[in-house]
Amino acid sequence: MPRGDLLGSLEQIVMLAVMRLGADAYGMTVRREIEERTGREISIGAVYATLERLEAKGYVSSFTGEPTAERGGRAKRHFEIEAAGHRALNASQNALKNMSEGLSRRWKRA
Amino acid sequence: MSLSTLAVSQWILARLMPPAQAEALIGDLLEELRLQAGSHVSVAGWYWRQLASSVPVLLWASMRRGAWLVSVVTAVASYIAAVLIVLVLQSALWPMTTSSFAHDVIMLLSFVAAVAACGYVAASIRLGAARLLAFLVFATTCAMLANSTGRAPLWYEGSLLVLGPLATIAGAALSGRLRRVRL
Repeated sequence: MPRGDLLGSLEQIVMLAVMRLGADAYGMTVRREIEERTGREISIGAVYATLERLEAKGYVSSFTGEPTAERGGRAKRHFEIEAAGHRALNASQNALKNMSEGLSRRWKRA
Repeated sequence: MSLSTLAVSQWILARLMPPAQAEALIGDLLEELRLQAGSHVSVAGWYWRQLASSVPVLLWASMRRGAWLVSVVTAVASYIAAVLIVLVLQSALWPMTTSSFAHDVIMLLSFVAAVAACGYVAASIRLGAARLLAFLVFATTCAMLANSTGRAPLWYEGSLLVLGPLATIAGAALSGRLRRVRL
């Protein structure tokens, strides 16, 4: 497996958030989903920078929605995961799983 | 939060991202700002924390995208070109000057013409480069005047300071207008 297929931790978290949100995945919802599920504060800039990187790699794609009044007339940018993104996410999750397998006795979980 | 505060922060974000992406991000911030307004969290504090933590990340992403680097290289190259043009013009026109006033006028005109031409070229490559060039012209003129021996008249120093950046912006505006006409 090429090294480039393995995703960083933030990339995995962002992709999982996009997957969870489905058709409602855009910057704000992705950011809130990550905060709610991980308890970790994340900036909207970090979400966008990560999504931009993932889009450049062909792991996610985006399309522009309709402008709405509560957004000051600005359109949403929706994201969805591509087939290559699913493969990369699988590879990264499997790599983690394989690395942690058999460590239950040594692993001091909090 | 005041409208001017929002406008300034949105202006900053728009400088760091492609237009469509910046629009979406600003829309997300505004939408969440409305949601936060109904909670107990300090809205202004939340907004500024978001902005402060977003700007370095977006700046880095912008540098990775290459947009920033191209703008900086274009601006610096344009500035060097402007300095060379000024030197060539001045050495060509120097023998024709008879008085110090004529010399100052020629210096000023050659400087304005050079930075306007370079502003035009920089803007045709990247608009951000022309803005950066205007800043470079202003900053270096300030530095030169601060270190000058005080020999030049005040009108000359003031004109250099004002006309330099203005000529750069005028050159950039001309480039933008011609591009729109061609389209």
